[in-house]
Amino acid sequence: MSEAARPMSSIESMPQFNSPQAELRIANPPVMTVAGLRKSYRKGKLEVPVLKGVDLEIPTGDFTTIIGQSGSGKSTLLHLLGTLDAPDEGQILYNDCRIDNLPSREKERLRNAEFGMIFQFYHLLPELTTLENVLVPKMVQDGFWQYLRNKRAYKKRATELLEMVGLSHRLRHKPSELSGGEMQRTAIARSLISDPTVLLADEPTGNLDAENGREVLDCLAALRKNENLTVVMVTHDESLADKSDHTIRLVNGVVA
Amino acid sequence: MYKLLLSWRYLKTRFIALASIVSVTLGVATLIVVNSVMAGFVEQMQSRIHGILSDVEISVPLLTDIENPDRFTQEVRQIVGDDLEELTCVVRSNALISFQFRDRQWTQHVMLLGIDDETFGKVTDFEPYLTNEIKKERFSFQLESEGYTKFLGAGWPYRREKFWHQQELERLQREYQQLYDRDAQQAMKNEPFTSGYDSQGRLITHNESQDISEQSPPASQQSLPKFAALPKQLPNLDELYPADDGAEDSDSAEKSAGLAKQGIVQLKPFDPHVDRREKLSSDQMFNPARDQYTGIILGLGISARKSRKLDGSLEDIYMVKPGDDVQMTFLATGGDARPVIENFTIADFYASNMHEYDSSFAFVPLSELQKLRGMIDPVTGEGSVSAIQMKLKPGADLDAVRDRLIAKFPPTQFPFNIQTWQDSQRPLLSAIQMELTILNILLFLIIAVAGFGILATFFMIVVEKTRDIGILKALGAPSHGVMSIFLGYGVSLGAVGTGVGIVLGLIFVAYINEVADLVGWLTGQKVFDPSIYYFSEIPTIISPFMVVMVAFGAILIAVLASVLPALRAARLHPVEALRYE
Repeated sequence: MSEAARPMSSIESMPQFNSPQAELRIANPPVMTVAGLRKSYRKGKLEVPVLKGVDLEIPTGDFTTIIGQSGSGKSTLLHLLGTLDAPDEGQILYNDCRIDNLPSREKERLRNAEFGMIFQFYHLLPELTTLENVLVPKMVQDGFWQYLRNKRAYKKRATELLEMVGLSHRLRHKPSELSGGEMQRTAIARSLISDPTVLLADEPTGNLDAENGREVLDCLAALRKNENLTVVMVTHDESLADKSDHTIRLVNGVVA
Repeated sequence: MYKLLLSWRYLKTRFIALASIVSVTLGVATLIVVNSVMAGFVEQMQSRIHGILSDVEISVPLLTDIENPDRFTQEVRQIVGDDLEELTCVVRSNALISFQFRDRQWTQHVMLLGIDDETFGKVTDFEPYLTNEIKKERFSFQLESEGYTKFLGAGWPYRREKFWHQQELERLQREYQQLYDRDAQQAMKNEPFTSGYDSQGRLITHNESQDISEQSPPASQQSLPKFAALPKQLPNLDELYPADDGAEDSDSAEKSAGLAKQGIVQLKPFDPHVDRREKLSSDQMFNPARDQYTGIILGLGISARKSRKLDGSLEDIYMVKPGDDVQMTFLATGGDARPVIENFTIADFYASNMHEYDSSFAFVPLSELQKLRGMIDPVTGEGSVSAIQMKLKPGADLDAVRDRLIAKFPPTQFPFNIQTWQDSQRPLLSAIQMELTILNILLFLIIAVAGFGILATFFMIVVEKTRDIGILKALGAPSHGVMSIFLGYGVSLGAVGTGVGIVLGLIFVAYINEVADLVGWLTGQKVFDPSIYYFSEIPTIISPFMVVMVAFGAILIAVLASVLPALRAARLHPVEALRYE
């Protein structure tokens, strides 16, 4: 436990999280670019526009926070970035390639290998243990025999990740036996198992108390540093935005 | 990998789904039991029928004959060739049987078969179905003295005893009649206006009766014991009725003539065989205690009536026994359909346990029936027949032989009806087949109903797992992967249900008689009553092909039932699925 917790505690004192100067830094080249993104939901004849032309860039290797009120369309934006949904108009570029109109097989590969996703409600599979939950993306990625061949390596990696988030003592527990923070840290470990380039987090602290929320956040920050990740976090909590490199404010479906 | 893992985990954590599969289990078990029992019944019945019927039969319509059968059978032998094992000729005729039972004349219709006692038993299973132990070994139409294990005392002892009692009854009747007439005469002389009763209304009998027996004791009656003093042991009837009783008979005729002279009206004693007696009178008198008519083998059902006892169980009442005489009425052949009435002595019963045959067949010797029906050609002395029955060597193709015979004797030119035993039983066999088909369809409908249960349960599980589906999709699982989780789940449930069903069904079939006994003991009602069915216990045959087909069908239904929910799962939009609470 203490061994696993050490990297996190060392990260806590790192300076860059409370730096308002972050915006002054020269932004890295964007890993994702969004242009003219529009999305509306239909309910019968009623059409509810959510995103009304969003343009933004996500710089490589930075911690970007998308902030906005409830219903401002920030979650929808994140889903579109993660190819879980398709926009009505506009484009999303990932490494200068358009990804919003890819065939579903390609989108699935992107979600599985390139993007890691974290959700407000953790979204772990209740029938599986912590370790198995972390391994799910690898199971999805590989065929049956391929997975069995690589199982040992994957397990090792998953155990490492769980150690990193401080859950080495919870490998065989079911999600129902974990606390909220533990579940969210499991979800983080899961999002990292396929070594993604971008980590998309949808209100990762929204369902946690302040203490656990901070832990999760610290974890994310440390990961960005150690694994050289691009982190995109969506939140309504202004205070969390302080710790990020960039803050994008979304108001009524447009970038303010 | 995640598909298998999740299918397995869902299976392990959701026992409600197993409940939905119970109906599949029961359906499968029922199908196996029903099919096995039906197959057993069909097989048993077929072997019975096949045993009773010959392999191939050439017959002509009733009241028509195959004339000069010798030449014809030669031809048939040639056509059938090496396949033929044995051939027998049969005369078939509708007949009425009539016999006395409890002061009532019983008449019913039978199918009278004239059979050749040497070859008939080789063509069909005839002897094993006889009730007499001796006849099973060595068949003849003669009444036996013993071996009637089912009817103790039947045969000659019974026939003698019955005749003796009959004689005794007649004697007493005669005696009483004489007394009565005597009294009446005396009364007429003394008191013309009173009959055999005194003034108090009492019958005047015993004093006078002694007088009469002293006055004119009939010689034949004197040697017989009085009714009250009947010996426990029967007298030796052969001594009582010596072979040469013609003299005695003429003696009694003189007696009755004497009595008539005395003015006593002699009632003619009841004699069922009076016609026969007249016929035989030329050489030798027919004595039922010593002689028998031509033997007849009766189907057991003709003589027996089922009767329900007070406790509800069925009991057979036998109206006639081996040793009794029956009267047969049938038509002689030829232009004038003249009825022939003839007495036969029941030599044995035929009990194949096939009700259809037991209640209608009566067998008599072929030559006798030919003679009686006037089927003997006066020129050649050869008797015509109504059917030729053949047994073929084991493994011979019945249909091919039948077709060869039909080709040689086309129905357009010959009146012959040539068919195998299966042809003649086609209506029954196809009825059973249809019954089986319908039962199978109905039971599969039960499994199909179970399929809808699975469908509903699976939909619930898919709804319950909506978020998991969203998660999997968010993690890059393709739609078909999600679908195969639920399909795999359905297949494994179907397989589990079917497997358990097969095991249950097979166990049930293996112990079906014990189960029937147990249920009978629990409910007090016999489930399988051997007296109703053809068999002493429930016959079963398990066909591996049937088991495989049932298993396949059941699993298919489980899979089909899980396709829709699985498709729904696959089509779920990941964002909506993730939002689902």
